[in-house]
Amino acid sequence: MGSIDGIVTGFQTAFSMEGILFVMIGVLVGTFIGMLPGLGPISAIAVMIPVTFGMDPTSALIMMAGVYYGAVFGGSTSSILLNAPGISGTVATAFDGYPMAQQGKAGKALAIAAIASFTGGTVSVIMLMLLAPALSSIAVSFGPPAYFALMVLGLTAISSLSEGSTIKALISAVVGFMVVTIGIDAQTGTQRFTFGNPNLLEGLDFLVIALGLFALAEVCTLVLNRKDTSVKNAHKIGSIKLSKKDLHEMKGPITRQSLLGFILGVLPGAGATIASFIAYISEKRLSKNPEEFGKGSIKGLAAPETANNAATSGAFVPLLSLGIPGSGTTAVLLGAFLVLGVQPGPLLMTDRPEIFWGIIASMYIGNIFLLILNLPLIPYIAKILKIPRPLLISLVIMFSMIGVYAISFNTFDLYMLLLFGVIGFLMRLFSFPAPPFILAFILGGMLEQSFRQSLTISNGSLSIFITNPISLMLLLLALLSFIIPLLRQLWLRKARKTN
Amino acid sequence: MFKNINQRVSVVLLIIACVYLFLSYQIPPYAYTEVEADVVPKTLGWLLVLLSVFLFFSKDTETNEQKARRSISGSEIGVLIAVFGFILVYILFLEKVGFMIMTALFIFFCSWFLGYKKYFTNMTVSIVFSISMYFMFVKLLRISLPQGILPF
Repeated sequence: MGSIDGIVTGFQTAFSMEGILFVMIGVLVGTFIGMLPGLGPISAIAVMIPVTFGMDPTSALIMMAGVYYGAVFGGSTSSILLNAPGISGTVATAFDGYPMAQQGKAGKALAIAAIASFTGGTVSVIMLMLLAPALSSIAVSFGPPAYFALMVLGLTAISSLSEGSTIKALISAVVGFMVVTIGIDAQTGTQRFTFGNPNLLEGLDFLVIALGLFALAEVCTLVLNRKDTSVKNAHKIGSIKLSKKDLHEMKGPITRQSLLGFILGVLPGAGATIASFIAYISEKRLSKNPEEFGKGSIKGLAAPETANNAATSGAFVPLLSLGIPGSGTTAVLLGAFLVLGVQPGPLLMTDRPEIFWGIIASMYIGNIFLLILNLPLIPYIAKILKIPRPLLISLVIMFSMIGVYAISFNTFDLYMLLLFGVIGFLMRLFSFPAPPFILAFILGGMLEQSFRQSLTISNGSLSIFITNPISLMLLLLALLSFIIPLLRQLWLRKARKTN
Repeated sequence: MFKNINQRVSVVLLIIACVYLFLSYQIPPYAYTEVEADVVPKTLGWLLVLLSVFLFFSKDTETNEQKARRSISGSEIGVLIAVFGFILVYILFLEKVGFMIMTALFIFFCSWFLGYKKYFTNMTVSIVFSISMYFMFVKLLRISLPQGILPF
């Protein structure tokens, strides 16, 4: 099938009744979960996976993608109203969004955030449409060595997922990789670390890890903060009308940050959080009145909101066309693909065009729907912030339990879920970041497989990774992307200092 | 003996790495392959040894924010353990008593324990949630959840 036919199929799928319905469900759920302080897109996606069992994979994945960008969109609401970002990608949103709310302009801030997010998301989808197929057609010719190098490139994302300490991020990744070696080795059939337990033969399911390390660990934090009263102090929303002058002021940052955010989203490891910080800093530098930033500047709000949504769609480029996740969230999304029996990667575009193009096309509808949700309906949606914490905690625990039980029908996995909940909480206590763990867990299996396939081809010689030009180039890129984040961290530190 | 928390953590990690390495060296060899099943685990094990040593000697000190995250009062730890206890009881009885009853009981008691005092709302939410989840999974998604002692 030609690519034009593929695009047509994709749009037909996305614009069918079913497609529209599932995009709507996805972005609605994503907005709700993203809004709740503490619960981010990873938990949102992981909790929704069981719901997709038995669904048609196209509709299911359209919905899951909606959950992801919906959560990023929804995260801004709690940043603005409560100064409590629902997700890390919207931390920078609070810098100027919350001061605006304090000045009684919460409605205006929400409107700016919604328009900026919408534009960033939509511009980014257009670029995704252009870039993803091009990248797919290049990647089709990749052999195991190139794939190995590509995954190493994906893993270098780790150094930028750290909260300050690169060593801790690397340790988190190595342990994640260790956990994935549990079970029967796919190539030799040897049992590894199973302790003779039949439940461990197939290894641990990624949902157990994702829900344990994220949802359950977040529950622990929620339990500790259950008496938090910030919700009661939420600001009144007020009017959402914007003047022409406001719109004029937004134009510059939105145009620039849509592009920059998209590019940062495509790169492994950058993602929404870093894109939003860089957007904030760069707009502050460009601004004629940098002293307004942090005191309710329109530009300071529009910039990170545009960038985080642009980066979110940008992250779909490597995911769909290479099958390589660049962040913890896209790693969980990749897991959702695999649970549904869909392997993202260069062959997805030709083999399953309805999924590849369906997801991309559905993002246009998703963004429009999010704009509607976040402009006129926001006062009603924001009520979800008032769910009593104890009830929220119990419900999140139950969602996680159902999710794991529904894939394995085995209580052994529930005990494992509990164990990883404890591990996830301990990791938080000692400041070990969890995203590298899940990223290594997802990439680890594939990485080992392509490594061993490559060595089988070369009769055991490691030189195959250097003599293969694509692999060499990618490994060099990986080295670069390992060094650049270290520099980027310095930038971030500067940004925090100035705020 | 240990100057900071990172050093204590790194010793725990070192122990984990050693156990993992010990088990890696027990993996039996396989005759017909270029790369043995134990190559990757051994590499990972040694990598963790190396990283734990780095962590032990790293100069990173905890920020105040990170320290604050770790200071939890004894009673709060008790609350956390109790919540995990609730979950454990839930798992133990899930298949015997059934999904609907256990889920409703869990939501009601866990929320009540964490300080939610509106009994009527709590009861309504726990019953409606467990019944609607059960029917959504069993009837709509055709994924069976433990029926337990209830006849449907």
